[in-house]
Amino acid sequence: MAAPCRRMAGRSLLQFVSSFSRTSVSNSGFRQFSSTSVCRGSNQAQHVEERASSPWTLMAAVCLQRLPVISAESNPIEQQFRDMMIQMELEKSMLSDHELRLLDDAERLRRMQAGEYDSDEEEDRRDQEIVLAQDLEDSWEQKLNNFQPAARVSDSEGDLGSLQRCLSDSLLLLVERPVGMEKLWMLPQTEWQRGETLRETAERALSSLPAASGFKATFLGNTPCGVYKYKLPQAARTESSVGTKVFFFKAVLSDAGAPPATESSQLWVTKSELQRYVKPAYLRKVERFLLGF
Amino acid sequence: MNAVFRKLQVSATQQAFVLNQALTTCRATPSIQHPVWASVNERQYKSMPTHGIGRWRHLLPKDPPKKKRDRPQMKEIVVETETTYATLNVNVSGYDMTMVEHFSQHIHNLCNRLGIKVLDCYALQTKTTEVWLMQEQGTKMSVDSFLKTHNRVVQLRSLNATMCPIFLEVLLKNQPEGVQLSVQEHTEVDYKARFKGRPDLEGLKAKIA
Repeated sequence: MAAPCRRMAGRSLLQFVSSFSRTSVSNSGFRQFSSTSVCRGSNQAQHVEERASSPWTLMAAVCLQRLPVISAESNPIEQQFRDMMIQMELEKSMLSDHELRLLDDAERLRRMQAGEYDSDEEEDRRDQEIVLAQDLEDSWEQKLNNFQPAARVSDSEGDLGSLQRCLSDSLLLLVERPVGMEKLWMLPQTEWQRGETLRETAERALSSLPAASGFKATFLGNTPCGVYKYKLPQAARTESSVGTKVFFFKAVLSDAGAPPATESSQLWVTKSELQRYVKPAYLRKVERFLLGF
Repeated sequence: MNAVFRKLQVSATQQAFVLNQALTTCRATPSIQHPVWASVNERQYKSMPTHGIGRWRHLLPKDPPKKKRDRPQMKEIVVETETTYATLNVNVSGYDMTMVEHFSQHIHNLCNRLGIKVLDCYALQTKTTEVWLMQEQGTKMSVDSFLKTHNRVVQLRSLNATMCPIFLEVLLKNQPEGVQLSVQEHTEVDYKARFKGRPDLEGLKAKIA
């Protein structure tokens, strides 16, 4: 193989420091990623070995995914089990401080109303009488009612180019490229150039997308997760090019930036919708490394 | 009669002696000697012929005497190679303790199943944040709540480069809401941060130096 696969692994072990956080306050529903990758020095250029050129053209493609923003809906069985477990745990649990305070206050109120209350007995309780536990609970409940959570299902369900659809599934980026005579849907790819690692090629593929003005992606590793071999038809084969080999690299979207202006050559699809767009042979290879349904 | 018995006894002991010798020549390990009769000349008593037959501790190799107070040593940080990463720390943190603990257990089980070696699995100190609310009229601040940040760390030994993207993707897709995930390389500084500082000891050391 002419590609420096071995070298890629060597350069790798990019000591990467990445932290992924899922908080409710996020920009347009993305997880905040912060990753710094410390490059191991560019020894590539010096160590490029002269190998016999192979007849295969090498390409690297990026499998860019937007991770699910909210947790998936549960089955009816899961729902029932969850309700039962909550009830069981509630029955088995001990009373918390707040609940003890509630009981105490209720008891004191009852005694005051019954007339047996002797205020001299409880001197140290006077400061706590100002705010009853029940009042606290009422104010908390009011705050909860004021909070409006966002909708689980957004409006743009049918728009395949939007990133806000299917919030509980992961979406994959597909682009339409002219290949030979026709235009095919595929994952964004570019050709490998001598002197760079395959991962750099994949990064280039991502940044060279026309609509990728603000795509910020974190690559999950330095090794490819899949490969697709394509032999050119007999007529087009020559001595130096038998076909292409495409290596897929996984990446996770951290920021989408500005939305593309009615770009029709770019789609965000779930795994189940993939088969409508992509050729069967390609789909077989791609499905193997896509996790999910 | 007695002479007959004595002859029989002598022959029996002689046989035992021969057997013992044969055994010692055959085996390199400590020979199985009869526990009580060390030499041939001891008399065989009719009572307690199997005394001490179950003794085995004298056959074990001698352990070195344990030191009284063993300071916890740091486990060696695995050096990274061409195809594997160095020791990685997967740090799970969040406000909800059950979520954090369950997620870290999930990671541990996942590693066991995928064949990724787990060096260590420990918890870092819980940090408490006090949230003070400013009242709208006036400058009085009142305590609203206490937020505790829990931290659990799963230390992975040598993660294969090919396994890395798959592992990370599974982790990210299963990450629950409200839980932060962070993957870093393990350093000595991380290890030292787990121990409590001893200000008086450091003060004394500074005085000496």
